Amino acid sequence: MSELKPIYKDVDSVVIRFAGDSGDGMQLTGTQFSSTSAVLGNDISTFPDYPSEIRAPAGTLAGVSGFQVNFASKHVLTPGDAPQVLVAMNPAALKSALPDLVPGGTIIVNTDSFTKNNLAKAGYDSNPLEDGSLEGYKVHKVPLTTMNREALKDIEDLTSKEKDRSQNFFALGLTFWIYDRRLDTSLKWIEQKFAKKPAVAEANKKALFAGYHFGENTEAFQVRYRIRRAHLEPGTYRRITGNEATALGLVTAAQKMGKPLFYGTYPITPASDILHYLSTYKNFDVRTFQAEDEIAGIGSTIGASFGGALAVTGTSGPGLALKTEAANLALMLELPIVIIDVQRGGPSTGMPTKTEQSDLLQAMYGRNGESPIPVIAAQSSADCFDTAIEACRIAVRAMTPVIMLSDGYLGNGAEPWKIPDADKIPPIEVKHPTEPNGENGKFLPYKRDPETMARPWAIPGTPGLEHRIGGLGKQPETGNVSYDPDDNQQMINERAEKVARLANWLPEQEVFGDETGDLLVVSWGSTFGATRSAVQSARAEGKKVSHVHIRYINPFPRNLGDILNNFKRILVPEMNMGQLVVLLRAKYGTHEFIQQNKVTGRPFTIKEVYEKINSLLAES
Amino acid sequence: MTEVTLNLTRKDFVSDQMVRWCPGCGDYAILAQMQRVLPELGIPKEDIVFISGIGCSSRFPYYMDTYGIHSIHGRAPTLASGLKLTNPNLQVWVITGDGDGLSIGGNHLIHTLRRNIDLKIILFNNRIYGLTKGQYSPTSLPGTKTKSSPMGSIDPAFNPTAVAVGVGATFIARTAATDVKHMAEMFRRAAHHKGTSFVEVYQNCLIFNDGAWDYATNPKTKHENIIYLEDHKPLIFGKNKDKGIRLNGIHPEVVSLDEVDESELMVHYEDMPDGSLSYFLSQMRHERGMPEPMGVFRCVDEPVYEEEVLQQIDLAIEQKGKGDLQQLFYQADTWVVEDESSGQNGSNGQGGNGSVPTLGVDEEYVGVVFNDEASSEPYFSPTDTLSTLNPRQPLIASQDISLGEAIQKLHNLDVGLLALVDDNGKLAGVFTEGDVLRKVAGNVTDLDATPVKDFMTTNVTALKEDDTLAQAIHLMSIHKFRHILLVDDDNRPVGVLSSRRVAHYIQDNFAEN
Repeated sequence: MSELKPIYKDVDSVVIRFAGDSGDGMQLTGTQFSSTSAVLGNDISTFPDYPSEIRAPAGTLAGVSGFQVNFASKHVLTPGDAPQVLVAMNPAALKSALPDLVPGGTIIVNTDSFTKNNLAKAGYDSNPLEDGSLEGYKVHKVPLTTMNREALKDIEDLTSKEKDRSQNFFALGLTFWIYDRRLDTSLKWIEQKFAKKPAVAEANKKALFAGYHFGENTEAFQVRYRIRRAHLEPGTYRRITGNEATALGLVTAAQKMGKPLFYGTYPITPASDILHYLSTYKNFDVRTFQAEDEIAGIGSTIGASFGGALAVTGTSGPGLALKTEAANLALMLELPIVIIDVQRGGPSTGMPTKTEQSDLLQAMYGRNGESPIPVIAAQSSADCFDTAIEACRIAVRAMTPVIMLSDGYLGNGAEPWKIPDADKIPPIEVKHPTEPNGENGKFLPYKRDPETMARPWAIPGTPGLEHRIGGLGKQPETGNVSYDPDDNQQMINERAEKVARLANWLPEQEVFGDETGDLLVVSWGSTFGATRSAVQSARAEGKKVSHVHIRYINPFPRNLGDILNNFKRILVPEMNMGQLVVLLRAKYGTHEFIQQNKVTGRPFTIKEVYEKINSLLAES
Repeated sequence: MTEVTLNLTRKDFVSDQMVRWCPGCGDYAILAQMQRVLPELGIPKEDIVFISGIGCSSRFPYYMDTYGIHSIHGRAPTLASGLKLTNPNLQVWVITGDGDGLSIGGNHLIHTLRRNIDLKIILFNNRIYGLTKGQYSPTSLPGTKTKSSPMGSIDPAFNPTAVAVGVGATFIARTAATDVKHMAEMFRRAAHHKGTSFVEVYQNCLIFNDGAWDYATNPKTKHENIIYLEDHKPLIFGKNKDKGIRLNGIHPEVVSLDEVDESELMVHYEDMPDGSLSYFLSQMRHERGMPEPMGVFRCVDEPVYEEEVLQQIDLAIEQKGKGDLQQLFYQADTWVVEDESSGQNGSNGQGGNGSVPTLGVDEEYVGVVFNDEASSEPYFSPTDTLSTLNPRQPLIASQDISLGEAIQKLHNLDVGLLALVDDNGKLAGVFTEGDVLRKVAGNVTDLDATPVKDFMTTNVTALKEDDTLAQAIHLMSIHKFRHILLVDDDNRPVGVLSSRRVAHYIQDNFAEN
């Protein structure tokens, strides 16, 4: 075997998907591969895709658990359109992941699992490894279970079933060989994780080495790929999912206000993880309240805000619908709350574990009466941190409910996050009056700040400022119930003006690329990664296309209209049927907006947007 | 609640808003009594909040010069809950009606009562929808003719006090708006109760349902139709106090004190831990020919929700320290990317020598540092080692003893598991009381002639003292082990853990919290 000499090929990026049964440890394998790649300095983006069933039957298509990693020497913004490499631990994994694989891609299969029974469970009439259906792919048939058992045969303290549990590390070791990864990170992880189970630690280590050696000593694996370090900004990094980033953002905002964080909510996929994370942060004075329903979730949030907490509720589309009436109460009471909507496939119950951007119009307009509410959207998993803080800042500044849009793709997906210096995150100033603001010692709960138009946030317990607020029409300043026509008109004008004025304070819209041109791509939310990558690719080929990614949807950035004026045509890719376009047309109606829409429950691929850009540029 | 002199009077609680209920509405009396009672409580008025939903009754907060929210239909308990969790120092009153609280807001009402948040809920029951102009409500009796039920309503009626009993409310009372002194006393009692107080007030709607409570409020007839509850006193009523309630089987019945001695009557206990007595009382309805109880049905002390919320926060701070954001951000695997100008060109790979990479410093790693996950300890950790559970000494015997001796040992020392060892003191097997039942009983004729070896379990799943609690729980829950033997590195038995010990450990470490 000493005559084998590997050939090295340098590549910019690789997308690899680990797929197996729910019990095969594919999430762990994928995470280990991501961590090692991250430690090696690659940029990474991951997409875990597990079954929605809690425990789907083993060996079936429903039970396939996948983890896709995009690792690269350049900055990557998505987990990759299509995997180039598929590691399939059983026939069901092969069958479910094969349609995504790039033509001519590499498949590594565990041939030991291709038994008659498993083939039948996956719905194969004949063995795809033998019937020629994988022609055109580079297939590596590895009797992984057998080889792993052989490698572990000297370990006495484990049953063969327990030994088989290490076979994911065999697969990991093999991929580490192919992609020239070091084993240190995983070895260290194994040692720590199984410190109290030396036999398991030994088995996993041996499996990892065995996989690596198998690659080293097999002719078919003598082409090794090298992915150099990405030029990431210096700093300390960690992986983070959107939901965890949201939770961290909220607790950070509360700390920066010097307030307790109240999170009143009702469990709903895919937003529940925010509740799970926050409920472990109690030492930050985080008060989580699992309410009896969505309405109680937001109702308690309004009560908490009245009491002076930073008050937040979280949900997904159907829950947002239930919170509608109370959101409007918060708007009338002019109390700051943040509503987080981790969007999922709709309408109705829809596709809870799949992603969509179709709550935009609900967030904007899904309330009775004239009820403008600030709406902002996160663009990536890590960005949920900043967006959550921003939502809180806006809420307390303008004394208004704010809706933050995330989605299932951001919430569950992960990417590297450059850990900020907590001390450098600016404090969020909140004032609670202690003195009356009217004549004769009267307190006027709706007397507005001349600049922000926010009303004073006087909290119960403050002597002399006792006041009543409610959902009925109001007299300006006093807030007393009033059905006077002029009072109602004035209050509605003021609330609208208050939200509109935020645009003066919020940052201007930035343009990626030239400020003028033939084509501008406008996106919002989680389509950022695919859209920005597509525009980058097109621009690298010298094409005249620019990109605007909108974070502030209500109010729109003050310079957005001017930017749009500088382009002939505007392409808007959205994971809905054109909701941002509705808003853009309403405000900037004279432009030519071209829709690119998709509601398949899956995120856009870079290729889809890239091809659309090319076809539009070819027309003009 | 310490009484302090604040010199507050009724007037301090009257707001500048004109009261807009219909003339003659029962709500006026409720408002007046509330304004009369509050100054007595010794609570600064800035610490009092009224929260209501929608309906005639829900205008109430506008008329009180305290903090207040007139919220949306049925949701007042949710706002009140969030407020109380944010600032437990406030006294928070919820004003609701039969439509607001029992129909559109029924879900919130029952869950709020269940949690026992320290809120004072006053339910104005007029058995009609007033604000929407006269439809039947969830407390309207079947057959009620209204605009929406011209042929009579067919919905069975809600029984508010029975609902409260059913969900375990800790304070339940009933009064009538016409009975102002009694009503004031109920408000006082509700104010002093720690936990959710629920007071049903019979309130007359002059316009849409006049006379609905006539039987219970008309001075001429009410004494025959209602019964005032007094703690520790027998249930006696009637204008001449000549009737009482006796339990007949499981049914309360009305008896005449001319015929029945007082000692046979039911006695009222507000603090009866279970809800059975309150339920009896709630079932005494006028339409069933029974006098309706007025007063405190139930008043018991149970843990108060918001106090437990805050206790968990205090405990978390005690255990983990006050939250540190930077530390929280680092609660994950982290890596460092150094400035590229520091000389690291980022070359990847170990070259072509094909050797397995070794641990240690390598130029590839100079720019990258791997940090450990920062720990965040739960209250008791499944990774606690078994030694922290103070396992008992195991009962050990030679594997060569007879079955009879083994059983004798188990019996004499009243233990469940006998560890059997070989000549070197190493574990050979275990014999448990379960084995006696399953394997021995009925199968062996001569206990003393049979070696225990033949009946012991040899393939023993033992743990070590530095194994984790999680492993023990796993074995106990998955394999139904009642005892787990602990061995040292030489496979010598050193301890035994019972499932009860594990359960106690977990319980103790929760109980301290």
